[in-house]
Amino acid sequence: MIDARTSIPPSRQAFLPRDGLGRLFTALQADGREVIGPTVRDGAIVYEPLDDATALPYGVAARSEPGRYRLETGDPERAFDYGVGLTPWKRVTFPPVVPLTTTVDDEPGLVQAVVPHRRAVALIGVRACELAAIATQDRVLRAGPAGDVDHAARQSGTLVVAVECAAALSTCFCTSMGTGPEVEDGADIVLSEVDGGFTVRARTPDGERVVDGLSLPAAGDEPVAQATAQVAAVRAAIGDPLPTDGLADRLRANPDHPRWAEVAERCLACTNCTLVCPTCFCTSVTVASDLDGVAASTERTWDSCFTLGFGRIAGDANFRPKVADRYRQWLTHKFSTWWDQFGSSGCVGCGRCITWCPVGIDVREELLAIAGPTEPVGPIPWPIAPADGHAPAPLATVAPARYATVHVSAVRRETADTITLRLATADTGLLASRPGQFVMVAQAAQTVPPISISRIRPDGLELTVRNVGPATAALTSLGPGARLSVRGPFGRPWPVESAQGGDVVIVGGGIGLAPLRPVIDAIMRERHRYRALYVYLGARTPRDRLFVDEVQAIAGRTDLEVAEIVDRAGPEWFGRVGVVTQLLDQATWTGERTTAFICGPDRMMQATARAIAARGVAVDRTWVTLERNMACGVGLCGHCQLGPYFVCRDGPVFSLAELGDTFTVEGR
Amino acid sequence: MHDAVIAPGGTDLTIDVRNLTRVEGEGSLHLRVRDGMVESAHLEIFEAPRYFERLVVGRTMDEVIDIVARICGICPVAYQMTAVHAAEAAFGVTVDPATVALRRLLYCGEWIESHALHLYLLHLPDLLGKPSALDLVRDHRAVVEGGLRLKRAGNAIVARIGGRAIHPVSVRVGGFSRVLTRDEIGSLRDDLVEAQRLADATIDLVADLRPPTFRREARLVALRSPDDYPMNHGRIVADDGLDIPVDAWESMFVERQVPWSHALQALGRDGRPYQLGPAARVTLDADRLHPRATAALRRLDLGDRIAREPHWSFAARAVELVHAVAEAIDIVDAYRPPTEASVPWQPRAGSAAWATEAPRGLLFQRFELDDAGHVVNARIVPPTSQNQAAIEADLAAFAPTILDRPRDEATHLLEQLIRSYDPCISCATHFLDLQVEVLP
Amino acid sequence: MPAPAQRPVRTSPTRPRIGVVKLASCDGCQLTLLDLEDELLAIAERVDIVEFAEATSNRSSGPFDILFVEGSVSTPEQADEIIKLRAATTTLVTIGACATSGGIQALRNWTDHDAVRSMVYPDPSYVESLATATPVADHVSVDLELRGCPISPDQLRELVTAVLVGRRPMLPDEAVCAECKRRGIVCVAVADGLTCLGPVTRTGCGALCPAYGRGCYGCFGPRESANAPGLAGWLVQDRPPAEVARSFALFNAWSPAFRAVIDASGGPPGPIDRATIPETSDA
Repeated sequence: MIDARTSIPPSRQAFLPRDGLGRLFTALQADGREVIGPTVRDGAIVYEPLDDATALPYGVAARSEPGRYRLETGDPERAFDYGVGLTPWKRVTFPPVVPLTTTVDDEPGLVQAVVPHRRAVALIGVRACELAAIATQDRVLRAGPAGDVDHAARQSGTLVVAVECAAALSTCFCTSMGTGPEVEDGADIVLSEVDGGFTVRARTPDGERVVDGLSLPAAGDEPVAQATAQVAAVRAAIGDPLPTDGLADRLRANPDHPRWAEVAERCLACTNCTLVCPTCFCTSVTVASDLDGVAASTERTWDSCFTLGFGRIAGDANFRPKVADRYRQWLTHKFSTWWDQFGSSGCVGCGRCITWCPVGIDVREELLAIAGPTEPVGPIPWPIAPADGHAPAPLATVAPARYATVHVSAVRRETADTITLRLATADTGLLASRPGQFVMVAQAAQTVPPISISRIRPDGLELTVRNVGPATAALTSLGPGARLSVRGPFGRPWPVESAQGGDVVIVGGGIGLAPLRPVIDAIMRERHRYRALYVYLGARTPRDRLFVDEVQAIAGRTDLEVAEIVDRAGPEWFGRVGVVTQLLDQATWTGERTTAFICGPDRMMQATARAIAARGVAVDRTWVTLERNMACGVGLCGHCQLGPYFVCRDGPVFSLAELGDTFTVEGR
Repeated sequence: MHDAVIAPGGTDLTIDVRNLTRVEGEGSLHLRVRDGMVESAHLEIFEAPRYFERLVVGRTMDEVIDIVARICGICPVAYQMTAVHAAEAAFGVTVDPATVALRRLLYCGEWIESHALHLYLLHLPDLLGKPSALDLVRDHRAVVEGGLRLKRAGNAIVARIGGRAIHPVSVRVGGFSRVLTRDEIGSLRDDLVEAQRLADATIDLVADLRPPTFRREARLVALRSPDDYPMNHGRIVADDGLDIPVDAWESMFVERQVPWSHALQALGRDGRPYQLGPAARVTLDADRLHPRATAALRRLDLGDRIAREPHWSFAARAVELVHAVAEAIDIVDAYRPPTEASVPWQPRAGSAAWATEAPRGLLFQRFELDDAGHVVNARIVPPTSQNQAAIEADLAAFAPTILDRPRDEATHLLEQLIRSYDPCISCATHFLDLQVEVLP
Repeated sequence: MPAPAQRPVRTSPTRPRIGVVKLASCDGCQLTLLDLEDELLAIAERVDIVEFAEATSNRSSGPFDILFVEGSVSTPEQADEIIKLRAATTTLVTIGACATSGGIQALRNWTDHDAVRSMVYPDPSYVESLATATPVADHVSVDLELRGCPISPDQLRELVTAVLVGRRPMLPDEAVCAECKRRGIVCVAVADGLTCLGPVTRTGCGALCPAYGRGCYGCFGPRESANAPGLAGWLVQDRPPAEVARSFALFNAWSPAFRAVIDASGGPPGPIDRATIPETSDA
């Protein structure tokens, strides 16, 4: 198995005669494996389940250019002379559609995670760049608080038979990305196709078992030398089309390069590049149900940062509306911020995105234009950090996305469209929630929204929910006694303790007060550990104010200051009218020893951050919590990416120092 | 409730039904009776005209195949089949025998879907006295479900060969857009075996139905081919001895425009109306039916009524359902994929006419093409346009026999007569509002 | 566009009153409702179908909780009718290319209408039709749309289910390519050099045409952010502009994104009235 490789010296090479390939297939099948490998379908090489070696593409070569692919006649003796196929191997280990949850038969309204099945497969014909891609995607899908269990199950059942490249396509650039063409690691068995057959190297115990079973003779010097020469010729043919030294830094330093707008005129945002990319991992969740919404299921499907829907957040706002923004997100992530997240480039140089782009956009050209060695480098936002904390967890620790059942013990109406659910649970994970964290709340037949925790109680949680769409409409109509399926808690909490010994400013706008309420709770529990406490609250109208009784109660205390303001007043309001920054403008404190916690709409947080900064609060002590389109909550679906961060996993709480200008520039 | 007005008083009467229901498209009935005599019987077609003859000008024949499908959502295959055969006649293309078989299978699918839709969902409510098939569910759930399953089997054929049940995409000049494998076609078989049982049950069902009485002699016209029940090819024949090649259609039939209709009406050169469709085919081509359909027709023993009583058209449809399912199974079993999806061809200038048997009857198309194979001129004559005059003649003949009935009932009977023709109004306008007027 | 100030409030939260009406069209989209053979009776048990002339003799002129409108506005009567229907409807859903973008008959919008009428009809004075065939949204506000020529049964089922359950229907607006790649279909544009509108066409068909060895012909109309000029700019490298116009000038020709390409490429095939092409285009 891929994760338990021990390197076996490449010197021990065996020789598999050409007509022996069928025996290899038989041996793999005898091992209980479905064999998946290259074959010709509809004018292209695709990777599909193969019955036997005769389905391999003997005598087929390929010609690949930006936006154009044609099969050609090759050496009839050779089966692996086509470069890379259309299909990325992720189709096997990370399929386009995977079931996520189903409803529970005897428990109306509750959902459960689907238990993945391990399937034993053998991949034959994997290239060096593809091995790198499998390893890269594996790092992505095992990272975070909960890994992708379906991927882990599929990956663990996979035996890899690599075949080193003996021909290069014009779109190949593995040499630049440092992933090939020589096969180093990642395969169980490595073949090189030479005259008369294959040199064979078993690289893992699993591979060795298969190879030993074939009772092959040792390879002579000649085939081994030919294999070495072939792959060297491939390296020479590819050259170094994309110098990568400093590329990641230059790329992130040029977010405003005019080329982004220019390429956006050609780019169709069709998603082809991302879906043929062997490392792209972004997904969305689709919901299906019967006509009554009783039997329901969710599935995870391949998605792409190139779709408009990918950047859509509640209320149909969108943080990446322009194709130029989407293209920059993709390319910058792939070649730059991937390093921050996973300690490697996200690109392995297979060239599929170039070949299968329907308008022939070549990423190599775009990268050289935007971040080539001669492009000027401005200040680099988020210099690449070491990949600590993002190292893949060992397979055994990939935790499933587990749903806990919670009971609605009370419902409190806050405003016309907002309620607070008090949830009772004995789930130790949920009870260990921290201020600023959120949970994913599942109801049969609805999408699964992230909801901030608005109070942490000894016997459960409170969630304050505003009705902004069908899923939250269903939540806001729940009554006591209802049950829900909840995953979490997720996200990095507010660093409340870090404010101890200093002053604290809390600024909440509208529903933004909900995730700040546990901060106030925490400070009030240990009030003596903090110095001055200022609470500034804004709302659209007096009727939209949350937790009115509680706010009134603390406002009566002498050890803190509470100020409220509304955008539009009614006859019943005698307080201030305006925006929340006006409260800050009149404050008398200075911010040298202050920690600020801010939550509200993006615009409000941006204005507040400026006002806070003007009072002298340091950017690394000014904390905001961001809303992004979080679908998984654990950094796997890719929706909430912001610069080097997954908002769900690395946030949602960030300091302004961490965010840099991503916080204020649209489209990032 | 029908938007029907029946004037008070003895034998002067106007029946005016706007928006005929359970027909495909929009039309009305307008009947005017004076002194007990029918003064006029008009099938008014106010479906918005869509000018297809003009829309295809300048187009390649492959584009025409896609465009003419949009004349009708119920019988797109009929339009595609007629156009593709016209194109191949114009360009001198001979297709692979597997393509011939697959096109016939595709047409069987459309016949099954269209006939099951009409018989079970549109016509049966009349015969069982309900406003819709959905209202039949309480008393006849199994019947309706069976009809839907039969319809689904027809749709499944079209969707398998053409990608989807409505406006399929695979029909191309020279063949299909890709090779359909034996497994893809073979996997239709299980549903077709079930459909065969349902088609047999349809024969049992119609054997017990008793539609209104109305008998007349009509001129029946259909295709007839030497070797099979007419679908994609044949000569135009009539019960009066007419026997002409399809490209002579224009020499024997004329289209005329009437002020009350957006659909041109077709008549014989002698000015006589004629009837197309399942009743005409079952009558004129009985000897070409599949043995299973022949047995069904013999069991029903309704051949004479099918030929002379339009209200009995459902029996012809039931027989054709048996035929189409049986033939579909035969084609599926015998299918061997062609080596290439399509044979190569070159466009050339010329004119080509073709006719095929749509579910509702003979569909005629003629195209004039330029050197590049682009359409210069087109004529499209759908079956409903041709049946229009026959329907009006039948209304005029049927109305006097029922004017003593309560008005709602009389109106309903007239509507039922129109529905028995399964008029496809979208096709024809390129068509229905029923109005009956009795004058003071 | 004239939108009624007030819409009727939904009559019943549990049994919506549903209507199906048509304007200029082929009936294929409303037929799709009858093509939901497996669910049709179950749906009919959960809703009141109060108007659906093709399927039932029961008639209603409203109010409708949900009204499915097929077809484009092509006659003066239809232009009046759609305003009345809008006023009687809570959720108006346009179904199919005719209703959402004008349909194939909108090709006449590039022509001299009187000339067209006289070409098809010996006496055009009997025939009432407008000079243009236009989408419903040009006349009244539309709440939801189902694209396609015809609409997809799966999307119709999803919409009806979502309405009954009270969730947002899953109707993606991305390109056909996304589904094409998920299905593992070999790209007919890149591997066969075919003209394929998939990159600029909204998904929903299941990448039907590429699955059947053809290029997408755009029957679901433009996707979100459709960069139709970008695709045209690539295609025109090895095709004359007229061929590019031809590819876009089908069932969604009148959608703004496709229309722009058609106009810039010299207009649709066939005799057209040049005056219909805006001067800004560089034809």
